[in-house]
Amino acid sequence: MSDEHLNSLLPGSTELSFNEVEAALAGVLRTRETRRQSIPRASTGTLVVVGKPSQLAPAIQALEEVDKASGVRAILISEGTESRPTVWISDSIVAIDGLAPRYLNNAVAALRLPCMPAIVWWRGGSLKALKDLTMLADRVVLDAENPDEVWQQIGAFLENTALTDLRWTRLTRWRAVLAHLFDLPRVRAAAPGFRRLTIEAYDRPGARLFAAWLVASLRWPAKNIDIRTVSGGGPSILKSVQLLGDPLSIGIRMLSGQDCLEASIEGDETDVRIAPLGEATLSAWIGEELAVRARDRAFEHALTALQELYA
Amino acid sequence: MALQPESGQNPLLDGLRIEPTPEPTTLVIFGASGDLTRRKLLPAVYQLSRGQRLPARFSVIGVARSGMTDDEFRQQMHDSLREFAGVDHPNEVSTALARSLSFVQGELDDPGLYERLCVKMREIDAPDGVLFYLAIPPTVYGSVIERLSGAKLTTPRRSTGWRRVIVEKPFGTDLESARALNAMLHSHLEESQIFRIDHYLGKETVQNLLVFRFANGMFEPVWNRRYIDHVQITAAETVGVERRAAYYEGAGALRDMVQNHLMQLLALVAMEPPITFSAENVRDRKLDALLAIPPLLENGASSTNVVRAQYTAGWVNGTEVPGYRQEEGVNPKSVTETYVAMRLHLDSWRWAGVPFYLRTGKRLPKRLTEIAIQFRRPPLHIFKRVSSSAISSNLLIVNVQPDEGISLRFEAKLPGTRMQLAPVMMNFRYGSAFGTAVPEAYETLLLDAMLGDPTLFARHDFVEASWALITPVLDAWRASGATEIPTYEAGEWGPREADAMMGADGRRWRTL
Repeated sequence: MSDEHLNSLLPGSTELSFNEVEAALAGVLRTRETRRQSIPRASTGTLVVVGKPSQLAPAIQALEEVDKASGVRAILISEGTESRPTVWISDSIVAIDGLAPRYLNNAVAALRLPCMPAIVWWRGGSLKALKDLTMLADRVVLDAENPDEVWQQIGAFLENTALTDLRWTRLTRWRAVLAHLFDLPRVRAAAPGFRRLTIEAYDRPGARLFAAWLVASLRWPAKNIDIRTVSGGGPSILKSVQLLGDPLSIGIRMLSGQDCLEASIEGDETDVRIAPLGEATLSAWIGEELAVRARDRAFEHALTALQELYA
Repeated sequence: MALQPESGQNPLLDGLRIEPTPEPTTLVIFGASGDLTRRKLLPAVYQLSRGQRLPARFSVIGVARSGMTDDEFRQQMHDSLREFAGVDHPNEVSTALARSLSFVQGELDDPGLYERLCVKMREIDAPDGVLFYLAIPPTVYGSVIERLSGAKLTTPRRSTGWRRVIVEKPFGTDLESARALNAMLHSHLEESQIFRIDHYLGKETVQNLLVFRFANGMFEPVWNRRYIDHVQITAAETVGVERRAAYYEGAGALRDMVQNHLMQLLALVAMEPPITFSAENVRDRKLDALLAIPPLLENGASSTNVVRAQYTAGWVNGTEVPGYRQEEGVNPKSVTETYVAMRLHLDSWRWAGVPFYLRTGKRLPKRLTEIAIQFRRPPLHIFKRVSSSAISSNLLIVNVQPDEGISLRFEAKLPGTRMQLAPVMMNFRYGSAFGTAVPEAYETLLLDAMLGDPTLFARHDFVEASWALITPVLDAWRASGATEIPTYEAGEWGPREADAMMGADGRRWRTL
């Protein structure tokens, strides 16, 4: 996959030079209108996806779905060494192939929709280029396979823009269902008695982020956190979470259908909560992020706690 | 852990992208076997559950005359979700939700019913935040409220509890009955406990109208008599009376649509900016707008300001349909109006001289509700020597249903070497602009009632102010003793008299 070029990921796309992109995009819109294909009537922003071709392939389908649902200009950039990169354009995506990292911000500056938010979906690559992009982007959504390196440098990026991580998005439902249990006064009252956090996870960094969020939110002196990585699983990051304590313990587990969570208080069947995990697709997650405009302080606090926990 | 529970705050809610959830709630639905419950309420509760918008402890108790077991009520929920929410088979969410459902049977005027309701609430350890939903005919509101109050069900057991009541329209049939209904409600409940639901107010676009007007700097400066020529508000239905003939015969379009939905839309367009987005501020300013409307029949001006009509047989949605008088359950000599058009003015600095035209009808060619704000033409047509076509007025259209959104019509130059002008439309659609689905109005409103936020509900004084405008028209119609009223063919846009009303002002209804 490493030798793969973006045009192979975008069947039916047309090759053109960078300075032809705007005109080509206008042409695409005209064509779609002529064919009476649905086109979003309101522009909501620019979504720039950055990564290697292998990292960008899964994003393409998500971008096509996002294009149908909301009016974003989607730009796909694979990092390479080119200063005059090949550009491909399909019905809904502009793909820039093999661009040298130092020019990433120039490309985005030229192609972003004016006066509308630009969101960078960063799937990996040069951290220097990422830092340059944070100067331009209104928001950066991190989505690296191994996030530790970028998470460690996040403080510098936060000076420029708002950041989040797609793992955080994928944890939203888990956090929500646990938070709902804490709506119950007796659970809040029992919180000082929680002694141990056990997480079964399909994705270790995501599990650590979840644990760090709990530590930060509950101001817990982080002891007895046990994360067990398990194999299998679908799109979910976690398999189960148990918060053990006295006088009560609470647990969340994914139900066998992999689409719902069950949250319960040990020994109390009346307060069992079933909550759907929501649509577990890249397009749904990135769609959720597109709707967020503000800084995500809870994520930032969780990440700070994570650095302290695993320093 | 270092968490200090004394604050009473939930520390895990910070930064959660889900909206606030209500305190533990028991939803008691009177009329649990009825159409509204099956079509709207149970699907709304399910969608709220799917979206994790329901509280940690949540119960639904259905109340109806017809006998049902708890399990039968649960099955009714699954059937309703299949029919109206596209949930073909029970899933984990609906199954879990069903477990929180229970049922109490009885006659609504039987005090024993309310004792059984108390027993049921104790039996299921129902949360002390209780929302009573009156999905029942208004004729029995009084009886239900009095008995709820008599059984002390309108008073929470603990200081942290709450009791609220959602009342469905119609809120009375005229000013006198509306006042009587409000007085009855106020004799048992505080106004803050009463939530008069108007589902139009739960629609995304209607809420967006406030954002559009008051969160953008560019529209409010032109939102006045200096720039706006007139406003048209249309609520068109393709359906006839369906199975509601018995109700509709006594109501008619004026009571059914104008007094509530159209007046609410008018108030949102015409209101002054509230100081804050709080329930009381918003509702105060809406009330001001209504109070600025002079009586419709002042100085005997009734005939020119209000037009009523009834549909005759015709063709709608590709089908021949009978006239209103031929509908099942309708008096063959009925003079109930199925169409109303009216012209209103507001005596205010902002709106003096700007007419508001309202129209609503059944069996019209399309189903849609919209607000169209037509701006004045530019003072000079400087292009008339090079472009013969007249300049169209700028038009701002707020589409309330079915395709929620906002459109702006403006003039543009047609491509080419000649200076040719043509109107173009710029559209914003909720369905495509955002990646998320638009919630059903009942989801929004049910949740707001559980959260205790009355912003999107009608206040007693607004209801009465609206009836104060409408009632003299109803009285005049009744006093006229007319045995015939104007007609329009089903599938047409209303009677000629409505066109004449606009024509007299040198204007036309928008072609929709």
